Amino acid sequence: MKNSHATENVIETQELTKMFGKDIAVQTLNMQIQPGTIFGFIGPSGCGKTTTVRLLTGFYRPTSGTLSVLGKNPSNFSNSDREKIGYLIQQFVLYPELTVWENLNFAASFYGVNPFRAGRLNKLLDFVELKEDKNKLARDLSGGMKRRLSLAATMVHNPELLFLDEPTAGIDPILRRKFWDYFKELQVEGRTLFVTTQYVGEAAYCDLVGVMYEGRLLMIETPDGLHRRAYGGDVLAIRTTEGMNSEQRHHLESLPFVHGKVKVIDENENDVIVDEANTAIPSLMEWCLAKNLTVEAIEKKSVPFDDVFVKIIEKEAAHV
Amino acid sequence: MFKWLIRISAFLGKELIEIVRQPRLILTLVLGPFLIMFLFGLASPDQSRALRTTFVATDPNAVQEELKLFTESYKAGIIDMGVETNKELALSQLAAHKTDLVIVIPDNPLETIQDNKRAELEIYHNEVDPIQTGYIETIALIYVNVVNRQILETVTEQGQADSDSLQTNLETAITKTQLLRKTIALSDVNTATQAAELEKDLTDVHENLTTFRSLTSTVMVNPFSGETYSLSEVEFTVTEFFAPSVIALILQHLSITFACLSIVREKRSGIMELFRVAPITAFEALMGKYISYLLFEIILAGLITALAVWVLKIPMLGQWQDYALAVVIVLFTSLGVGFFISLISETDTQAVQYSMLLLLASIFFSGFLMDLRLIKEPITILSWSLPATYGIRMLQDIMLRGSSIPVLIFQGVALIGIALFLVDWLLLRKKMDS
Repeated sequence: MKNSHATENVIETQELTKMFGKDIAVQTLNMQIQPGTIFGFIGPSGCGKTTTVRLLTGFYRPTSGTLSVLGKNPSNFSNSDREKIGYLIQQFVLYPELTVWENLNFAASFYGVNPFRAGRLNKLLDFVELKEDKNKLARDLSGGMKRRLSLAATMVHNPELLFLDEPTAGIDPILRRKFWDYFKELQVEGRTLFVTTQYVGEAAYCDLVGVMYEGRLLMIETPDGLHRRAYGGDVLAIRTTEGMNSEQRHHLESLPFVHGKVKVIDENENDVIVDEANTAIPSLMEWCLAKNLTVEAIEKKSVPFDDVFVKIIEKEAAHV
Repeated sequence: MFKWLIRISAFLGKELIEIVRQPRLILTLVLGPFLIMFLFGLASPDQSRALRTTFVATDPNAVQEELKLFTESYKAGIIDMGVETNKELALSQLAAHKTDLVIVIPDNPLETIQDNKRAELEIYHNEVDPIQTGYIETIALIYVNVVNRQILETVTEQGQADSDSLQTNLETAITKTQLLRKTIALSDVNTATQAAELEKDLTDVHENLTTFRSLTSTVMVNPFSGETYSLSEVEFTVTEFFAPSVIALILQHLSITFACLSIVREKRSGIMELFRVAPITAFEALMGKYISYLLFEIILAGLITALAVWVLKIPMLGQWQDYALAVVIVLFTSLGVGFFISLISETDTQAVQYSMLLLLASIFFSGFLMDLRLIKEPITILSWSLPATYGIRMLQDIMLRGSSIPVLIFQGVALIGIALFLVDWLLLRKKMDS
């Protein structure tokens, strides 16, 4: 797909703030998102994710700060600007008395898509695996099918920027995985995706992740970067044939690239936090050899994002 | 270039599909009004209501002759339920709705009249409805008039019969006067003149008496009769008269009900958020909705009219193009009212309540139930702000009088319709922008 904003940021905000009366919904939000990115916007319910999306789509006007989407302030979007945007709302808002096909056709019409569009609609239904169900009434669809129909309706006008507000909320893990496969395909086509989610584990599918908490954007990181920010580095699991004694552990903790205490998992496994896994692994191999420890494996530990998120929030709370 | 047209068509298709997907609703919408008119025709009385009446006479034997007169007069309006001697019992039956009227006959009516006094009939009823009370008072008045007239006719007939012997005596008197005049000496001019004058007077009285006897008692008592003539060539039944009003009222109600639920549902479903982000404008959305509902309701109005005209035989004296124009403008304005309700309502229930209130207001103030000329100022302002008022007036003129569309009425409703479209557009734009 052709991208008219290949070099500049697709989304850019500076000190973006939204208040409802005296309540601050979004506070001094700064971010830049490059074209072709899957940007995950993660945070607990009520933290300001939807408000941010509504600011970015032009649904809300900011209280203060500046924002630019596709090079323009969303409040000044023209119709042709709006045609470049796809917006998936949290709840199912299409018409229950219309069939899958009719709903999609309606969405295509109100985005002004050329009437000779049957081929495109079929392709979309194929993409979200609803082709067999196109004559079903929307009210008879399952929750997952409704989400897929909504996604197809969001893409019906071939937008270059997609705002997907909790697209995977309330659907089973298998379908969630499938959704992220769709998003990857959309990214491959050159689209930019701004995806909000409560499922912290979905951060792994994103190129960049923004962590939102109580209206503030705590950080924007890559999924790996999140791990490091949470734990102060990469977590490595060292498995040795012989058990590590306390003297050896103390020595390990004193190495310059190792941070904090060694965490004992069991007799043969210990976790350490290092600056950078790739450079630390050879050094640790050498250290084990020097300490007469037979290494079974030293590998980067995949800490669940739930834990990473909790750790980040705990750190933030402590900081506040 | 024509993207706005495509966007309008989005709503056109969507609304029509949603309606067509409810065949039972369509059937109800078409057959409902037809059935209402049909049942109304069956229920409408062919003649005015006769009143079940008990007569009270303290001594029925004493007034036997009079009773016959009282009970058999005005059979069209009075149903004789018998004679009761106990007034209280008769009134208790009236209170229990077993009878509609109690007429108490005075004890000695003829003696009272002979004493140069009016004999009073006490007439009791048990109605609270002012319209029914008025009806009963009219029936009572007609009844008393009929009774009085019958008495007068009887007295007149008696007088005519009595005048027979009087006329024979007069003829004898005239003959005698003629003979007397011939015996008077020619020189006695004064006496002869007086005799001639007497003869002439007697002859005049005889002629007047002849005229009196030749007239029927009915003509004597009711010398004038009245006949009414309508400029309309057709005489309508109650159903025929009400049919245009029912059609106008139903079309207004259908439009308002459909439209009032349309936007409020979208506000509640959350799709409005999508509209605000998408390239569609408030004008395009509103236009799409107007066109789709208008198309659907024109078809519906056509079906209802066809059933009314060809099945119920409701007359259509005017031009079809005038009728079509009147229907379309009433539908357009009613849609405006419906969308306005939809835009100011927060829930479906609230919208339906508003539309029911409007229906109620239309029944009372649109000229449906009460003639517009009877409605006092400034309530007429309310009347003329209802599309049904214009609809009833236009359809009655076209269907029943065969007139062309009343231009001023048409312009009035069109003006309201256009104003409502603009207000609805501004309100929707505000909702989509804010």
